Formats: sequence, structure tokens, C-alpha cells
Amino acid sequence: MNQIQNTGENINFLRNVFRKYYFENNHFPYLYSIEKREFGYRKFDSLVVRHLSFNNVGELVAELVRNVPLDIYYSNAYYGLPSNPINEKQWEGADLIFDIDIKDLDLPCIHEHTYYVCNLCGYVNSERKQCINCNKGKTYDTSIPCKRCFLSIKKEAAKLLDFLYCDLGIKEKFVEIFFSGNAGFHFHINDPSIRNLDSNSRANVTDYILGNGFMCESIGVRKYRNGFVIKLPKSGIMTGWRKKIASNLGINQKSELKLKNIVEASGGYEGFRNELNKMTRNNGVPIDAQVTNDIHRVFRLPGSINGKSGLTKAKCDDLESFNPNNDACMLSDSEVYVNPKTKLKITLKNNTFRLDNALEKVPSYVAAYLICKGLASISNAQ
Amino acid sequence: MSIKLGSSELAKYPFLQEASDYIHETKFDFEEFDRPEMIHIINRAVEKLENELKGNVYSNLDEYEIEIMTFMVSLLLIKSIGLEEVSKKCSLFEAMRVEKFLSSDLSNERSVEKKKLLVQKIFLELFKINIDVNSTSSICKLSVPDYLQRASKMYEQEWKLINRSVKDGYVYLDTDETVRLIRNELSNLIYSRIKNMKAIEIPVSIKSKADELRNKYSGRYVYKNQFKILEYPPCIKHAMEIINKGENLPHSARFMLATYMLAIGKTEEDVIDIFKNSPDYNEKITRYQVEHLAGKKGSHTKYSVPSCDRLRSEDLCFAIKECENLINPIQFGRRKIR
Repeated sequence: MNQIQNTGENINFLRNVFRKYYFENNHFPYLYSIEKREFGYRKFDSLVVRHLSFNNVGELVAELVRNVPLDIYYSNAYYGLPSNPINEKQWEGADLIFDIDIKDLDLPCIHEHTYYVCNLCGYVNSERKQCINCNKGKTYDTSIPCKRCFLSIKKEAAKLLDFLYCDLGIKEKFVEIFFSGNAGFHFHINDPSIRNLDSNSRANVTDYILGNGFMCESIGVRKYRNGFVIKLPKSGIMTGWRKKIASNLGINQKSELKLKNIVEASGGYEGFRNELNKMTRNNGVPIDAQVTNDIHRVFRLPGSINGKSGLTKAKCDDLESFNPNNDACMLSDSEVYVNPKTKLKITLKNNTFRLDNALEKVPSYVAAYLICKGLASISNAQ
Repeated sequence: MSIKLGSSELAKYPFLQEASDYIHETKFDFEEFDRPEMIHIINRAVEKLENELKGNVYSNLDEYEIEIMTFMVSLLLIKSIGLEEVSKKCSLFEAMRVEKFLSSDLSNERSVEKKKLLVQKIFLELFKINIDVNSTSSICKLSVPDYLQRASKMYEQEWKLINRSVKDGYVYLDTDETVRLIRNELSNLIYSRIKNMKAIEIPVSIKSKADELRNKYSGRYVYKNQFKILEYPPCIKHAMEIINKGENLPHSARFMLATYMLAIGKTEEDVIDIFKNSPDYNEKITRYQVEHLAGKKGSHTKYSVPSCDRLRSEDLCFAIKECENLINPIQFGRRKIR
């Protein structure tokens, strides 16, 4: 959803700072095979344009500087004819992509930094219900992720990398990690050996990462009449998910009796199955299944600005040390006046800003961040 | 010393190039099937085919000359019968017969070289799958992408990657599982051999048997089972509730709802009506999309209802007890119309 209050001043301001960014940062080093990708963008009025193609980065930048979209996307797929309608594009394969987002982690801190903005008058409410200011609009959530949020999402990112490297055997050279520009991380896997996987095969990978569908039989517990029997699989239980579960249960290839006792203590086959479901949910990574399963997805372009925050989808070479509010904050420092709609504190580019409901002079990157979040409006004050 | 496939392998795997080479070398002519001494081959092929049509794998194994000839006659019979259902069923059961032999060979063959040769001839040369056979155990390994491309077409939960032994980019399977993985490809290979047979003069002796079999089986494959839906599955009910409340459904849920409704026989107009309550309803877009899913627009492919497995992974599944063992929402709450 486009969170920006639809005033000409806000849009003009953002268009100017975005244009300056694209004009000055006119290269996209992580964009490969540009001529085979479909491009699309969301305009400031929320309209989406798709089926665009460019022969080179120069053409792309010219379009961005000319039209200055709010968000820019490109296909994970490689096409023979990327600007044709979807059935005539000649699909030639697609990068495998993953998206993890803070909102899917159910973190306890989320209510501490979530604001409920009215979609009609822009008033910031304290609860998610009808706006108390205009009594007409509905509220939408907007959040300023905190340090704990980023620490948690990085842990999930590390778990995902473990699945990719250790289980799926994907080489590090094929994996690129990006901060999404708002509240998550994107993983682009451009390994040629998996480019041709269809949507069902990708869904199979998705379930592997999410921890969906693990069967008791895979760890050696089989339903038998009204009870169960233990028969460990021939291919062993010390690899992949089987190993994760085995280590959670404290068993190995020789622990048939121990496993039998565990199942009995869980209340038999059904009880054990419920325990397993909890275990797989905790050990999986909450990726967005629809993103990974889609072989025609248009996905946020690395190096472009995220219209939900004004931050950039930035490459993340070292997950641990990456600081989103610093490393992905790339808009101009020139100062402007804003009217914050609520009292808040944010840290961007290593500077902390404490804002009240009063006119404030702030760098453009702060103004853009707050306007994109729906938490401030630009002011014409000099 | 180079290892070659022996006559027993040609008997079990008569679709291999080596078996075709044998036919070429003997300069065998199809007309020779009309000679009286060939009648036992034709009868054997009929027996095999009828076995397969009854849903059984034909396990008898004879000398390789007999097996290669029987295989050839079977293909000619199926081609001459000309019934799609017969071609598909026999291809499948022929594949299952191969599966049985291959699984046993990979488990019991003592010579590692021989095992590797079989793997190369069948897995690599025919289906481009690199399989590594363990010399000391009956465990095989193949790459994750090779596994996914095949296993993702299987409905059984046990084939999901999460239920497999996976490490460093490889999936570890026992020999039965490894061979099961290529059943569809084997079946497709045999089916395509039948389909691609050139228009030849079918020997009279085979043609007359084919005519008998066609008469016998043609009525049996008329699709009689019509169903009516007594109740919507919970995933569809949930999506309908959201629509009826005037809330937005995610794209994947709309896809599920529309394909389901089309699959149970609703008209495109009925389906479009369902979406009228969506807050972002646009008749032109909805009509285009519904007609597209129904196969009337774009690629003219009719889209299937996503499987339960797919719906689970997209958080669209709200399974209840009655959903157990279903693989697609379309199976929920239906009764045969007699």
C-alpha cells in the first residue's frame, strides 16, 4: 500500500530526492542480464506499470530519472522477449528468491514502534480502528523497526543461509543478500543449475525452509493399527531435517528404544506428530512462500529506493555488521522542514532524531523516511 | 576391461538402444510376424497387455530374443488398438515392470561396474540424471535439482524434500526410491515410442488381435464417474467468508477460489459474481482473469486447482478432520452421481 499522504508537496519533495539519487547513483552493479528481464514500477499515484524492458543500465536510469517511480521491480525470470504479454515472453528460467520480513516474526516489541495512520486524513492513532480524528478513515500499520527487530531478522537470515549452504548445497558465490529497504532481507540465488526449476519444485524448497510437512515416518515412527512402530529409514536420520529433529530429540541411528519411549511419552503417534509440528515450526525460517514459488515475480530492484521507507535495497556483504538504518540510508543530507504527526525517535546515518509534533528542520533522508512511513508531511517553512 | 550390457539386461530393458541394435543386426522384417512360428510371441504380447489392462505388472521373464520381440509386438498392438487410455495404462505398467527389474538389479548386482553401467544407460543417457551408486550399500545419491524436478510431480507427502535425507546439495535414496523416481519418465518414454511409431503396415496377425482387443476394451474407458459437490472444503469456505465480508483476498486465494469454482462446473459468469463483493472489484479485470483461468484467453490452458500441499505452504489451508488424505480440495465433499 502506498502510505504517502497524497499531497502535492510530499510527492514533489520525494520525487526530487529520488530523482537526485538515481541521477547520482546511476549504476546497478547487481543487475545481471538486464536485456532478459521484465521491469515494472509503481508510480506515486499507486498505479503499476509492467512489461517494460531495457537493453542497458543507461536506458533504465534515463527512465527512472524521467519518470521517478515510487518503487522499481524487475523479474527474477529471464525472458527471450521480456516486454511481451506474460504468455509470450519466452521464459528461459528464473533466479530462486527468498524474502523474510520482520512482520512475520511475531516479535513482542512490534507494538512499541507501530503507528496506526488514517488512510484519509493521515492522523496517527494509537489503535487499529476507525480514525478518531475524522471518524471516517480506516487505519493502516506503519512501523519503525528497532534494533531487536533487526537482530531477530538477522538470526532468521543466518538460519536460511545454513539451509541453503549446508542442505541444498548452494555455493556462496551464487547467493546475494540484500536489505529489502524496509523491514526484511531478500536473497537472490543465481545458480544456473536451479534456474529451470518450475513453481512446484520451488514450492518443495519453500516447504523445506518453512518446515512444512515433516512426517513422523521420516524419523522412523510409523503408524501401526492403533499404535505405532519404530523403523528407522534406510537412508539414515543424520542429515537434513531428520538430523535437526534427531538432535532436538537427542537420538541417533541407534536410539530406537529411546525414540519409542519419547513417542509413548508424547501420547503416541498423534501426540508425537503434534510435537514434531511445533519443532519444525521453530526450526524453520518464515519466508514468504509466494515470493519463492513465483517464477514470474517482479521483485524489488537491488540498488533502488523502497517507497515504504526511502531507504535503499542495499547489498549486504556481512550480515552481522550490516546496519540498515546506516548502510541503506543513501538520500541527500540537505535540510528541509517537516511536520511530524507524532512524537518519535529515529536513528538514521548514525544520527538520532527526537521529534515532537512541531515543525522540525531535518536532513532530507529523515524527511523522506517519515513521509514514506506516513508519519510526517513536508513543510514550506523557510 | 570394458563392461557391456548382457543378454539378461536386454531382456529386462528392451527399450534400450542396444535392443534396437539387436533387431537391426538380425535384419528382422515386420512381415515375419505373420509366420506361424511367431504366433507364440504375439500371444505372449496379448497376455502381457491384458495383464497390464487389468492393473497388474507382468513379471514373467523369458530369453532376451523373446522379450525384445514381445516388447515390439506390444507396441504395435497398442498403436493399432488406437485407444489413448490403453496406451497410457500399458505405458505405465510397462514402466512399473522395468522398475521392478531395475530396483532388484541395483540392489543385488555384485559388480559395481555393472551397476554403474545400468545407471549410466538408463538414468543418464535416457533421462539426463546423474546418480551416484554407493559401492557398499544400496543407497544412491542425486543432486537436489534433479530430485526436485521429479519428486515435485508426486503427490505423496513422503516425496517432499523435507522428508528426505539431504546433505550438501544431494538427496540420498534407497534403490527402490531411486527407481520409483523415474517411473513417470519411463512411462512417458514408452508412451512416446508408441505415439512416434511411423505409419507402417501392421502385420495381419497383429492387426486381427488388435481389433479383438479394441472391441473388448473400447467401452470400458468411457468416463462414467460424474460427481456432485455436497459441501465446500474449509479453504474455499474461508475464502468465501472473507469475500462476503467485503475484505480483500490475496492473489493466491483468488486463484484458488476461481479455479475451484470452475473445476466444480460453475460458469465464468457465476465465478465473476463471487468476486463482486471484493473492495477492489473491477469487472473487466475479473472477467479477463476468470476467462484466462478457464482456458478461454491467453495460452488457452485451463488452470487446475492448487494442491492441498501448495495451499498449506501458502497459508491458505484450514484443514479439518475430513481433509485427511486428500491431495486436492476438489476431492472434498463429493459424491458419485449414479
